[in-house]
Amino acid sequence: MPGRQLIMSFPVTATSHALSEYRERGGYGALAKTLGQLKPQDVVKEVTASGLQGRGGAAFAVGRKWQVVQYDDGQPHYLIANADEGEPGTFKDRWILENNPHVLLESMLIASYALNVRNCFVYIRGEFDLPYRRLAGAVEEAYAAGLFGRNILGSGFSCDIVVYRGAGAYVAGEASGLLSSLEGKKGYPRNRPPRLTVKGLYQRPTVVNNVESLSNIAWIISNGAEAFKAVGTPKSPGTRLFSVSGHINRPGVYEVELGYPWMKFLDEDCGGVPHGRAIKCVVPGGVSSKVLTGADISNLKLSHEDLWDAGSTLGSGGMIVIAEGTCMVALLQVLMRFYHHESCGQCTPCRHGTGWLHRIVDRIVAGDGRSDDIERLYYISKFNDGTTICGLGDAAGYACSGILDKFRDEFEYCIEHKRSKFGGNLECLRSS
Amino acid sequence: MPEIFINGQAIEARDDQTVMAVAREHGHFIPYFCWHPQLSVVGNCRMCLVEVEGRGLDIACNMPVAKGMKVFTNSEEVQAHRKAMLQFITLNHPVDCGICDKAGECTLQDYHYQYSGQRSLSHDQKVRSTKFYNLSNRILLDNERCILCLRCTRFTHEVSKSMALGVERRGDTSNIRPVEDRPLSEDPYSDNIIDICPVGALLSRQFLHKSRVWFLQPTPSVCPGCARGCTVQIWHRKPEWKLKALDQRQNESIARVTPLDNPAVNGPWICNKGRDLAQVFERVRADEPMLKGRPVTVPAALDEARRLIGAARHAVALVSNWGSNEELETFKDKLGEVFHCFVKEDWQPQPGERLEDDLLIRADKNPNTTRARELFGHAEPGFKDGTDLVLVWGEGFDFARLPSRARIIFLNSYLQPENGHADVFLPVSIQTERHGHYTNFQGTVSAFEPCFEPKPGVLHAEDLIRALAAPARGHP
Repeated sequence: MPGRQLIMSFPVTATSHALSEYRERGGYGALAKTLGQLKPQDVVKEVTASGLQGRGGAAFAVGRKWQVVQYDDGQPHYLIANADEGEPGTFKDRWILENNPHVLLESMLIASYALNVRNCFVYIRGEFDLPYRRLAGAVEEAYAAGLFGRNILGSGFSCDIVVYRGAGAYVAGEASGLLSSLEGKKGYPRNRPPRLTVKGLYQRPTVVNNVESLSNIAWIISNGAEAFKAVGTPKSPGTRLFSVSGHINRPGVYEVELGYPWMKFLDEDCGGVPHGRAIKCVVPGGVSSKVLTGADISNLKLSHEDLWDAGSTLGSGGMIVIAEGTCMVALLQVLMRFYHHESCGQCTPCRHGTGWLHRIVDRIVAGDGRSDDIERLYYISKFNDGTTICGLGDAAGYACSGILDKFRDEFEYCIEHKRSKFGGNLECLRSS
Repeated sequence: MPEIFINGQAIEARDDQTVMAVAREHGHFIPYFCWHPQLSVVGNCRMCLVEVEGRGLDIACNMPVAKGMKVFTNSEEVQAHRKAMLQFITLNHPVDCGICDKAGECTLQDYHYQYSGQRSLSHDQKVRSTKFYNLSNRILLDNERCILCLRCTRFTHEVSKSMALGVERRGDTSNIRPVEDRPLSEDPYSDNIIDICPVGALLSRQFLHKSRVWFLQPTPSVCPGCARGCTVQIWHRKPEWKLKALDQRQNESIARVTPLDNPAVNGPWICNKGRDLAQVFERVRADEPMLKGRPVTVPAALDEARRLIGAARHAVALVSNWGSNEELETFKDKLGEVFHCFVKEDWQPQPGERLEDDLLIRADKNPNTTRARELFGHAEPGFKDGTDLVLVWGEGFDFARLPSRARIIFLNSYLQPENGHADVFLPVSIQTERHGHYTNFQGTVSAFEPCFEPKPGVLHAEDLIRALAAPARGHP
C-alpha cells in the first residue's frame, strides 16, 4: 500500500459500512471528544493548523475557508458536503459514500459544531444509486442513535441533515452552481463576489466542502493536527484518494500518502499498463487538469507542489492513464463532447466556446480539418480562460490546450493526412 | 469614500458602488448586454470585462470598488477580449440584420461595428433553433438571435413579478421559454421585455416588419391610460421619409410606443396599455362641426354656441379630465364664471383590464384628474332644476343622464352617436396633435408634444374655449 491510510484503513466487507462496525473502529469518538471537550474555535483552529487542503480540485485550505465564517454573526449558517462527483475519471467520493458513510456524517457533525450550523446538507450526484442508499441508510442509523437531531449526545448541540439528490448536471458540482440547484433553481454558478462563505445558500454564510475533505476532519480531531501534518509532505499534508482508471491493470480507488512517487504507485500498486505498453500520458486529477506525458511524470511525486511545478494539478484525484498507441485527437473529441454537453449555457464564452471546440475537433476527426484549426482551438481556449463565471469554461480550455501543447504533431498529422496517426484508437491494444 | 482610478482619472467613489456604476457616472463607457440599471446583476454576457492592475480581467458590473484600484476600460487586453466575446456571441447568431426589426437600434450591431468589425472565425454550421416562437399574443421569440442575457426572465421575476419566463435546456441549446402555468399574456407589463432585449430576439407582433426604425422619430408624450401619466415616446414616420405612394395612412399613424425613462414617474417601464395608444387615438375621428347632426361651418357652429351660452340662465359644464393643464386653466379663466363646472371621468376601467397594482397601473383611467379636481372641485356631476344648457367636453358621458330640456354643446374628438344629438357639436383635436401638460396623481407635471398636424376643420380645445368666451363677455 502506498503510505499510510487514514480513510481506507479497514477491510471492506458486506457490513463494514454499518454504524455498529464503524463504532467498533472507534467511530464517533471524535464527535464525543468535540462535544465534550472542545470549543468551536478550537475545532477551527485544529483544522487550520492541520493544513488540510480541499480535495475537490482547487486544493484551497479548508481552515481558511472556515475562518471566514463568523461564529456569532446572528445569521443561520449552512454546511454542504459536495458529493456531486462528476469530474470524468473521478470516483473516489463514491468509495467513501459506499463504504464509510459514517465518517462523512461524523465529520459533518464536527464541522457543524465548529461553524454554528443548525442544518447541513449532502448534495449527492443523482446517478449515484448504491452510494445514495448507503448514505441514506447511514443517516437513518445516525438519527436512530441520537447522533442527529436535537441535543446530540446530551451536549445541547442540535443539528439536522438533508440528503439532496442532484439531477445530473456536471456544473452542479461547482460550489455555487450546487447552491443554486439546492435552492431549487437551475444549477447556474454565481458570480464572485460575494464569496459563498459570506452569501451562499439562501444568501447566508455557507461552507461547501468536498466529501473527502470533510472525511478527514474526524481523523484530525481524534489524532490532532500535528499527527496529520506528519503524514504526507510539508506543503501537502495528509493522504489523497485517487481513482485510477484508463489503461491500467488494476483500476480502482487507492488511498495514497502525499509525496509518494508517482511511477512507483502506478507500477507497483496499480499493476502497470496492460501488455507492457509504455505510458503515453496521464490525466492527473480529472480531465480539467492538464495532461502530463510519461516523461513528465517519471520523477514526480504525488503532491500538490510537484504537480503545480509541472504545470498541472492533482485536481479531483481522478487519474486516467493513457497508454502508447492511443489517438489523442479522438481523446480530445471525447473530452470536448463532454464539456459541450455539460456547459450550463449561462455565460457567453463557455456556452459558445465549448460547442465551437467540439465542432472543430469533430471535423478534424472526420478528416475535414483545416490548416487554421489548431490556431482556432488555441484562440477559443485562451479566451475561455478567466472570462467565465465558474471554472468549467477554464477547464475546457485547459483540457484542450493541455493536449494540444503536448501532442500538436498528432493534430497536424490528422489535418494534413485526413486520418488519425493512430487510427482513432482509444483502446489499449495488445500489439501495435 | 474610496478613491479609485479609471483609465488614470482619479475618482471618489461611494463604498457600495460597482466599477460599472462609477465608470458610467464619470463618462467612461463600458459595453454590456446583460447589465441593466433596474435589474439584478447576473454577469453572464462577459462583455464588460475590464482590466484591474494586478488582478487581471474581471467583469465591471459585479466588481465592488476598492481603495486605490486601477481600472482600465480600454487596454489592449480588454479590447482583445471584447473582440473575442463578440466572436462567441455571434458564433450561433444568424446575423440576419437585413430582416430584423431591431436593426438600427441593436446593441449587438452597434458593438460589432464599434469593437470588432471582424468576420466570424468559424467555418462550422451554426446551432439552429426556433424562429417565431409564440411567447404570448403580443410577443414573438427568435431563439437563434437570443444571446441569453436573461434580461427578460429577470424582468418577469423582479419587476413585473409574473415569473412567466425561464430557461429550458442548457449549453448552446438553451432556450428562453414561458413557464407552463403562468402565461406571459397575463402579464400587463410584458412588452417591456421587447425594449430591454439587447438584440432582436423578442419581437412585438404589432410592430413586426412594419417599419425600419430609422424611418421613425420619437416624440415625447404622456400616456393618458391612467393617473400614473407615464412618459412615453410615440414613434411615427419622419417627415423627410414621408410616403408619397403606398399606404399614406402610415404617415399619420403611431408606429409604436416605447417608455421614456423618467425616474420621477415610471422609470424605464410602461404597461401594455401604453403600447396600445393607437387603439385610443386612431379611432375614427369627427372632423365636421354640426348643429343637431347637420354639418355646418366652424363659424356658424361657434355663433350658435355663443348664442346658447348668452341665452342660458343656468348653464352647467362637464369638464374633461383628459384636458391638458393649459386647457383646463383656460376654461376656468374664460368660462368658469359662466358655467357651473363639474369634472367628468372620460374613461372607466375596461373589462379584463388590470385595475390597480403596486408597480404603475392606477385605478383612475384618466390622465389629468388631479389638475381638473384642483380647479373644479370633487363634486359628482349633478343638474339642478332649471338647468337649460349643458356643455359636455369629451367622451364617456351618457346623454340620457342630461336634463331633458337642456340644450347641449358637445366637444368631442371621435365619431360617436352622441355627436348628432347635440345642439352644437364641435370637433376638437387629440393629444397627438397638440402641446400640453398633464398632472399625475402624485402631482408631477409631464409634457406632451404634437406628433401630427391637426385635421382640417378640427380646433384645439384651448382656442375653442377662447372663441366661446370672447363674445359671451362682450354681450352678456
